Amino acid sequence: MHAKPVPTAVVVDDERLMREQIVGRLKEAWPELVIVGEAANGREAVAMVHSLEPDIVFLDINMPEMDGIKTAQALAGQAHLVFVTAYDQYAIRAFEQGAIDYILKPVEPERVALTCKRLRERLQQKPDSVDHLLDELSQRLGSEGLKPREYMRWVQASVGANIRMIPTSEILFFRAEDKYTRVQTQGFEALIRTPIKDLIEALDPKEFWQIHRSTLVRVDAVAQVSRNFSGKQVVHLKGSDEKLEVSRSFNHLFKQM
Amino acid sequence: MNADQTSSAGSSAPRADPPPALQPPNTRQTLRNLWRVIVELWWRFFDWLAIVSWKTLLIVYGLSLILAAMLHRPNTFFLFVVISAIIKVVAGGKRRAELVAHQATQRADTEQLERTVLEARMQALQAQIEPHFLFNTLGSIDQLIQTDPPRASKMQQSLIRYLRSAMPQMRDGSRPTLGQQVDLSTAFLEIMAMRMEERLQYEVNVPEGLKSAIFPSMMLQTLVENAIKHGLEPRATGGKMEIGAEIADGQLAVHVLDNGLGFAPKSDGGVGLANIRERLKVLYQGRAELIISVPPTGGTLATIKVPYEVAPATA
Repeated sequence: MHAKPVPTAVVVDDERLMREQIVGRLKEAWPELVIVGEAANGREAVAMVHSLEPDIVFLDINMPEMDGIKTAQALAGQAHLVFVTAYDQYAIRAFEQGAIDYILKPVEPERVALTCKRLRERLQQKPDSVDHLLDELSQRLGSEGLKPREYMRWVQASVGANIRMIPTSEILFFRAEDKYTRVQTQGFEALIRTPIKDLIEALDPKEFWQIHRSTLVRVDAVAQVSRNFSGKQVVHLKGSDEKLEVSRSFNHLFKQM
Repeated sequence: MNADQTSSAGSSAPRADPPPALQPPNTRQTLRNLWRVIVELWWRFFDWLAIVSWKTLLIVYGLSLILAAMLHRPNTFFLFVVISAIIKVVAGGKRRAELVAHQATQRADTEQLERTVLEARMQALQAQIEPHFLFNTLGSIDQLIQTDPPRASKMQQSLIRYLRSAMPQMRDGSRPTLGQQVDLSTAFLEIMAMRMEERLQYEVNVPEGLKSAIFPSMMLQTLVENAIKHGLEPRATGGKMEIGAEIADGQLAVHVLDNGLGFAPKSDGGVGLANIRERLKVLYQGRAELIISVPPTGGTLATIKVPYEVAPATA
């Protein structure tokens, strides 16, 4: 990488006041540094870095559209990165182990001066590859990508004239009824168009069990299982008098321990 | 215990009959006093019988038998045994009923206490201020001090108001009102609007008359923070938020409406909403609810309904 005569930087933060503060402090600590652009979110930042090719990017972590970690992953190797964050104990621990520098908000002049000193020394080198570090960071911060599969936690259903978001933890069971699927909670019932087979895919199999071709029951809502006169298993629910039949192919679910 | 028992039984005893009116005043006084002593002794005896174990009673019977034999009064002895045994059975039942009632009251008190302790603990937990919010706000104030001191001062005042109302008010033991909760969230929104600038517009439509209504602490604030964090902040263009309150069917309904990103069915809704549901269950036993719905305009509408109660006016 060729060393440019004048060092350049881009400042990325979703709050204008914070950008102003970082820019102001940088001017005091490193008068020769030219701030070539300011971006308010990750997407803008990526586009700006591609067109302006700055040496350094100061990146906020909490941002709309694309957070700082994802932005950093997109920019890896293209510029020296410095994270700017208000408070993230895990992130700070990760930074301290790695090549990426960080500044805490509110930005202190002494800390910025130290960062600038380090940057001046490092500017002659190619930006480090920090992929593994970013992976670790995104894991610690719970960003997407490395998370286990996410299941449906809310069911959107019409109740009267309103569309309600019903948390799955409030639902007793789903049952196919004609063209619709009935969603039963302790207080009310609602109809949704999603068929049972799609719900099986979307819901957490640890939370809901299929006990019949047309029935999904929330495991925690099961009070007891008994047998009716014809020998079929019947599920009794907590907080409802309704009883659900278990078809023979699902009998194994309630085998005695 | 025993003395307490006596006084409570004594107070429930029938009043003494007035002595004959023909007696001279001083004799009447003496008779009345004597009657009082007898009544008092009778109830003490009654309570003693109720509490004493059958074993002790049998020993007393044995001693009485010896005394009766010495005095040659077997009839009096038998009368004493029969009457006291009957009283013992009757009084024992009364005593048991009292004990059961006492235990029930104690249990209710314990439950009440547990609920209060739980509430206090949750309040303290809820009042934990987001460090991100605090540091970012302080950073903004720091910047404004240099560029726009009057605005810096305004923001700092909002922050002070926010922090003051976010501190759990456990000292005076009074229940939080909707007014306090709205003040807290308004201070928060003032700060956020200064920081997010044109990306946040907000409106507070809470009628003055509803501000004295009882409303649990930090629930409105959780909804407001959620609307910003999950609805408006993640959108580059931001959006609008409205806080409103109304009475419907004897219930106080407080809502937070935003036109932001809307609810992701896969998001677990955060600890905040689950926490509100749990607290509503504990505080109102099924007479309150949190409803999340999708308004026709998009975004999210979160409504908390609680029974409408007005805080007692403080002197």
